Order: sequence, then C-alpha cells, then structure tokens
Amino acid sequence: MNRSLPFEIFRYAAILSLVALSLVPTLWMASMAFKPIAEWSATGADLTWWPKSPTLDNFRFLFGESSSELIVALDRTAGQPILSSLLSAVFGTLIAMISGTSAAYGLSRFGSGGNLPLALIQLRIFPPMAVMIPVMIMWAFLGLIDTWYGLALVYGIVTMPFAFWLMKTFFDDMPREIEDAALVEGCSRLRVFWKITLPMMRPALASSALFVFILNWSDYLIALLLTTRDWVTIPVYMASLSSSMTGQLYGAKAALGLIAAIPPVILGIAIQKHLVRGLTFGALKQ
Amino acid sequence: MTVAALDTRTEAMEHEDARDSRKLGFWLTLPAQLLVLFIAVFPILMQVYISLTDWSPLDGIDWWQAHQLWNTFANYTDLLEDNRFWSALGRTALVMAICVPCEFLLGLGLAILFVDNFPGRRFLYSVLLVPMMVVPAVAGYMFFMLFQSGGPVNDILSFFTGSPVRIAWLSDPDLALFAVIVSDIWQWTPLMFLILLAGLVGVPEDQLRAATLLGASWTTRFITIVLPRMKTIIIIALAIRVIENFKVFDNFYIMTGGGPGVATETISIYIYKVTQQELIWGYVAAVALVILITLSVVSAYAIKRMSRSRELSR
Repeated sequence: MNRSLPFEIFRYAAILSLVALSLVPTLWMASMAFKPIAEWSATGADLTWWPKSPTLDNFRFLFGESSSELIVALDRTAGQPILSSLLSAVFGTLIAMISGTSAAYGLSRFGSGGNLPLALIQLRIFPPMAVMIPVMIMWAFLGLIDTWYGLALVYGIVTMPFAFWLMKTFFDDMPREIEDAALVEGCSRLRVFWKITLPMMRPALASSALFVFILNWSDYLIALLLTTRDWVTIPVYMASLSSSMTGQLYGAKAALGLIAAIPPVILGIAIQKHLVRGLTFGALKQ
Repeated sequence: MTVAALDTRTEAMEHEDARDSRKLGFWLTLPAQLLVLFIAVFPILMQVYISLTDWSPLDGIDWWQAHQLWNTFANYTDLLEDNRFWSALGRTALVMAICVPCEFLLGLGLAILFVDNFPGRRFLYSVLLVPMMVVPAVAGYMFFMLFQSGGPVNDILSFFTGSPVRIAWLSDPDLALFAVIVSDIWQWTPLMFLILLAGLVGVPEDQLRAATLLGASWTTRFITIVLPRMKTIIIIALAIRVIENFKVFDNFYIMTGGGPGVATETISIYIYKVTQQELIWGYVAAVALVILITLSVVSAYAIKRMSRSRELSR
C-alpha cells in the first residue's frame, strides 16, 4: 500500500520487535534446557541468559541417568510418557481421520449425515472440562482409565470434528468429473471412493492428519483427567516433575518442554498452507 | 463429454445409483454418528441424571444407583448462591474481554504490515506462527519460568530501572492475572494474524488501486473497501478466539494452578478443582450442564444467523 522510506523503516522495526517478543519465551526455555543446575535461577544479582557451561545433563536426567549435580532420582523416566503421548496422539488421529473422512465424503457427495455437521460444531464449542465428568465415570466403568487406548479414543472423538470439516472442504473442492467418468465405466460408488477419490486426496489427507495430530499432541487437560500413572502424557508428566530437594526441576522440565514443543512446531510449519482452513473449520481457505 | 455420457444412462440405472448412494452415505457417516452418540449424547444424559443427585465417586455407590442420593434441584439452587462459581465466570469474561481485543488488534496490525511483499516476509511469517504451535501446557511452563522472581522478566526490569527488581508476579493476585493474560496473548495473537492476513490478501487489488487513483487516502480505503470485505473473516476470527478463550485451562493451570487463592481461577479451572479436590460430582455435573445448555443455545442461534446472512450475501 504505502511505499515511503519511513514506512519501510517502521514496518521492519515493528515486525522485528514483535518477532523478538514472540521468540523470547521459547528461546528462554531452550537455553534453560542446556543449563547446569547452578545457572537455573538467579540466586545472586545476575541471571545467565545463555548457558555459560552448556550441558546435556538435563536430557540425560530425564532418561534415568543421574548426574553428579542432580542427585535426585526420578521414580520413572520420561520414556514412558513420550511413548504414551505418541501412541495416544497417533491412534487418536487414526480414529478421527477414518470416521471424519468417511463422514465428510458421505455429506459432501450424498448429503447424508442429518444434523451431524451441527453436532460437530457444538462438540467443538463445548469446553472439554464440562463434558468430561460422565466420560470419566464411563471410562472408569469400562476400565479405560490410565490406558493409552482409552485416551486415544477420547482424542479421536474430540478431534474428529476438525478432520470432518477439513476433509469436507477438500471433497467439496474436488472436481466431480473424474468420479462421474468412473461411474459411467461401471465402477460402484464405494469403489470410486476407495480407488479414485482417496488416492487423489492423498495430500489433503496428509495435511489434515498432521493438523489433527498436532491437536492431539497438544492436549493437557484430557490426559490430566484420564491418566493417573502408567500412561501419563508428556505435559502431565512434566507438571509432576519437581522434587523436595531441588524444588522445581527447571532445567529438566525445560528439556522435556523442548522435546514436547518441537514436533508440532515443525509439523505446523510444514502444513502452513492449510492452517487457516483447519483452524477456521474450513470456513476460510488461504 | 461427461455430461453427454451421463445422459446415455438409463433411468433404471439412475434409480439404482441413487439407492446405492443413500446406502453408502449411511454407512460412511455411521462411525462418526456413533462416536458422537458415544461421547456427547449418552454422557450428557448421564450428566443430567447425576446432576439431580448428591453422587460422588467416594460414596461407594455405583453411578447408576445415584438415585439413592436424589436431591431434585438442590444442586441447581445451590449454584445460584455459589459465589466462587459466579466469580470464576466473571473472571473468565474479564480475561476474554482483555485477551481477545488485544490479540485482535495486534494480529490485525501485524497482518496489515504483512500484506505486501518485502524481503524476508516468508521467513518472518513462519517465525511469527511459532507461539501458536507450542503445546499450551509447555507455553504455560515457559511463562511460569519467565515470571519467577529470579527470572528474566524481573531481570529486564532491573536493567531498565537500575536497581534489582524482585517482583513475585505469580503470588500477587493482580499481577498473576496479568501474567496469565500475557501468556494467552503471546500464544494466540499469531492465530488472529494468520486468519486476518488470509482475509486481507483476499481483498481485490484492482478495487484498491482504483480507489488510490481516485485519491482515497489509506484510511479511507481501509474503512470503505477493506473492512466491509473482511467482515465475515473478522467475525470468524473473533468467534474462534472467544470460544477457545472461554475454555482456557492449560497454560493458566500450569502457571498458577488458579491461584493465588482464586485470583486466576477461570471456569474450566473451577470445574476441574471442584471435581478433583472436593469430589462433589453431582454438583459439578449441574454446573457443567448449565454451561453446556447456555453454550448450545447461544451457538445454535449464532450459527443460524451466520448461515442466514451468508445465504443473503450470495
């Protein structure tokens, strides 16, 4: 719009300062993850912004190796929570994608589903905390508390609306001529869906699945309510990391936070193109 | 070509195809329908039942026998007098009233700066999206560290004031609320930015150029051309943030646990705490139901209005 030099200077100054602000918290955690215990917090006057003697001790500590400085021992390592986060997020994504994609195709092509779209929007609006009480009771009854598959099932249902709306917009965008041609050739509807539509939709399926995976991976509240010990996920485990001897285990927590933060950031940047579509439930396409 | 090919199909084939489609449509939507039934319809009925009793998981009574503890509408009348509930609701509204406009204005400002191309645009755009993709619980922990009394926020303040600052951000009620709001704005401004930028880029350039030639100033162009075109997008962006902000739990709970006292207790944290600490689930079920019913009514109305205005604009 405006192209004058003062405007360009202002633009760079404004953008760069906001970029800096948006990076500081993440960088602080990243630097904390490599700090030895002595630099964790400012006891004297000066605070170390960059680790003076960087170390991998925090990561080693998380996986059960005790170091010379951190004499506290963990009652369990970070391995199991990482596995739990992975299993529940991956299988939750599978459930959401399978049920969401097929329902989206049913609605997009045959108008089936009745009031399903509205129900799914409302499911998205409800705060999870307000629907979790009966789910907790049901899960206890079914023996699904503190299991990765119990968690995956809830994730699948909670994120299915996203898979549904994303895939519906992709199906709506797809030209129907190819499907029609196959129908004329004598293919059944199901065969057309399976052999022609789905393979064509591979990129859309991949980005929707990654989007849903990020959502599942980012959960804290549901895992907090439905897991107790064996299958706690990374955020729940992270919150429980503190000891009576050192108080908050800043460095170890930061290291774990870094491990948890990396996958969604990388995947999110990879599917940047479809983020708007996903976040607005397909109402907006970039 | 395809149209001609379709015309050659016989009526009987058409009929058979329509039946097949209906059948396939039914089976394709079935899993989703069952899942919704499983997590929404059935649990909500269960919640209605429990909300009319004094049931708690510690009573040793199975939930389906909760009718032994029937108290009719006592939970609902208690709710009217529950100050902690109402103040949590008010606090949630306050947080929303601060966060959403700040996120909107910052996001819009950034989006305006990003509309036309400049060197480094793509890279800076990606970098700006990072906060949004950080796991909210981890973001909560980041801000927990930043706001420690020996943490970097105080360190920066000390640098500027020249004397050591040791503010205990998270243990002062007002400052704690400020800190959690900052963390929310930090995390979700990128979302506003992303959506609003997508909207701004979609404004037809020829109209803007024509207006410029006619001598319209930047402000006039923005108000008369850009804003009206962005109306739907702005509503969508605001609606998403209002919905999400109402649910806020993760970063707040990690930073302060709802404290000090109840200073940062939002509605989700309130329900969580009553569920986990006071264990009166019959009452919590009533609280949750009131929220769900209110939200359903409001959202059904909003969706109806939005789809109607969309049809009109077509």
